[in-house]
Amino acid sequence: MPSVSDRAAPAHVDGEAPGRSRFDLTIVGGKVVLAVVLGALVLAFPMMATDAFILSVGVVIASYAAFAVGWNFVGGFTGYISLGHAAYTGLGGYGTALLVLELDLNPWVALVAAAVLVALLAVPIGIASLRVRGASFVIVSIALVLILLLVAQSWASLTGGAQGLRVPRPFGPDVLRPEQHERFFYLNVALVAVALAVWWFIDRSRFGTGLKAIREDEDKAQALGVPTGAYKLAVFVISAFFTALAGGMYALWFGYLDPIFQFSILIGSYMVLMSLLGGIRSLFGPVLGAVVVGYSLEFFKVHYGDSQFHLVALGLLLALVVMFMPDGVIPAIGALVDRFRPQRSSIREMTAEELLAHNASIDDKSAGTATATDDERDLATVPPRSGKDLR
Amino acid sequence: MSGSLLLQTLILGVLLGGLYALLAAGLTLYFGVMRVVMIAHSAFLILAAYLAWFFHQQTGLDPLLSLAVTVPLFFVVGYLMQRGLISRLRPATLTMMSVLLTFAIALAIEGMLGFLFTSTQRRIQLGYSGSSIEFFGARIAVVKLIAFGLAAAALVALFLLLKMTRFGQALRATIQHPEAARLLGVNTDRIAGFGFGLGLATAAIGGTALALDSTIYPSLHWHWIGPLMAIIVVGGLGSIPGAAAAALLLGVTQSLLQLPLGTTWAQTVFYVALFATLLVRPQGFFGGRLAQRF
Repeated sequence: MPSVSDRAAPAHVDGEAPGRSRFDLTIVGGKVVLAVVLGALVLAFPMMATDAFILSVGVVIASYAAFAVGWNFVGGFTGYISLGHAAYTGLGGYGTALLVLELDLNPWVALVAAAVLVALLAVPIGIASLRVRGASFVIVSIALVLILLLVAQSWASLTGGAQGLRVPRPFGPDVLRPEQHERFFYLNVALVAVALAVWWFIDRSRFGTGLKAIREDEDKAQALGVPTGAYKLAVFVISAFFTALAGGMYALWFGYLDPIFQFSILIGSYMVLMSLLGGIRSLFGPVLGAVVVGYSLEFFKVHYGDSQFHLVALGLLLALVVMFMPDGVIPAIGALVDRFRPQRSSIREMTAEELLAHNASIDDKSAGTATATDDERDLATVPPRSGKDLR
Repeated sequence: MSGSLLLQTLILGVLLGGLYALLAAGLTLYFGVMRVVMIAHSAFLILAAYLAWFFHQQTGLDPLLSLAVTVPLFFVVGYLMQRGLISRLRPATLTMMSVLLTFAIALAIEGMLGFLFTSTQRRIQLGYSGSSIEFFGARIAVVKLIAFGLAAAALVALFLLLKMTRFGQALRATIQHPEAARLLGVNTDRIAGFGFGLGLATAAIGGTALALDSTIYPSLHWHWIGPLMAIIVVGGLGSIPGAAAAALLLGVTQSLLQLPLGTTWAQTVFYVALFATLLVRPQGFFGGRLAQRF
């Protein structure tokens, strides 16, 4: 995955209030305004939607966003690209439906219970598949979906097989279709918000730092004492949990499960595409990607109908992102903004002497007080190329 | 269970394993030269099968003759794909991004096939499609024998090419140690492109063999990619003999399991083998040093 030498270094400038230029303040202000406006737009969307169809597209996009954010726990932090996360949305969906149908549970209890069960199931799967890296991991993730597809199709007495499974609606019959869409839209948005909060929290924790170290160089991280196996497994389980919640929510909304669509590699590849397009290292990357990809998918379905052409479009889009924008849109915008940053006269922010002095001062500090924060230690090891964070 | 049924199943397993072995050899080649896991391999396989079907449909000639077009064509496509796309990815993230890139190519191929030929199931009907040979009470369809013969011939040719020719030597050198090969005057970039072309040519041959005796449809490649990936992981990424051995073993096991379990559940043997391999020996049973990190 992205290497150490990438420009978007994870170390953050937040929290170093002195030394912040007016430019930075403007950017922060802009971000806040943007966040408020976008948040208001999202919340007001059901009011603005002109008809039930537009509203249902909104629900689909919101649930894609939930899928993508769930995926990004593994993909973004550890750089392990899973093409098979449809396994967890599918299991979440089937788990929820079966708990409602067989055990007569309350749908919302069933949703959470199914997600917990999927998280438990993800433990052995994670132990097996996280033993390998890179391409083998991708293979295993694809294999997982294919197995589950086989099982769901063959085990017809439980899953209904190719006949599909009808999921009872969680709201009573008096709640009409558009109102259902509206409620599920807000539920999905809430799920995305919770998942993003957890992501943000992990991003700033020691756990998150360890995970990002794994992403940059797993062997070095291990050598430095990061418990790589346990960390990867933990984040894998968290990811499975949130993805399963999103899948269960989708099942409750859609009301019908078919193995071909639940355990489909396509769904998994949507998640990858959305996250990569938005930027797997940024908090809102997957959400942005979900909006773009979800909208274009619906657009294609409306305009080209059932033809297979949407596969070509998806393939081309994925290829373009991989070839030309593997870091995603948000880092690209960040880089664009950085170009307008004043006082950036040279490519390299620090001369070698300055860097030496800087490192020496950090060494002094950590030698004097043993309480240097993680961030400082991180900074000390950042090579000069990503020196923009060292100011 | 009668002995002849068992024998028949065993033979069918070996015949299927031969095709698996050829395709897995192609995947191993890509992995060897570029450390790339080519998800689109089976999509190209289905593409070749469609080309064979289309050729037969249009001309009425034997689909085997389409090999004269598809093999060179796929070789060139493979070369161009390596030079134009794969080698342009960032080295640091090559392994992961190439998986996504080839996955995207697979989607595009599936979409194009569905777009051009619709998702109707297609089958080639030949004069000898229905005929079969008796062999100690086991009935083996002639088309399956032809498919196996094709796969075996291609594998032998590939083996001879790699072992006997200067080009094969250069290719193996590139796989073993690219820097050293470059120092000795091998143009590793070009050789890697040719390696890719060779790999894709195996898909052309395999696809034609597949078109002879099975029904094809655009999304069929998903049914192939899983088993093939399992085979190269079990065999150990990067080892052609390992891939061939795993292919034969798993092909025969799948055939034998079809008797008690039925076709669908028998497929799971690949995935069971895949997960068992990862738990016991993640680098595969035949792979060496190469496979460790991938």
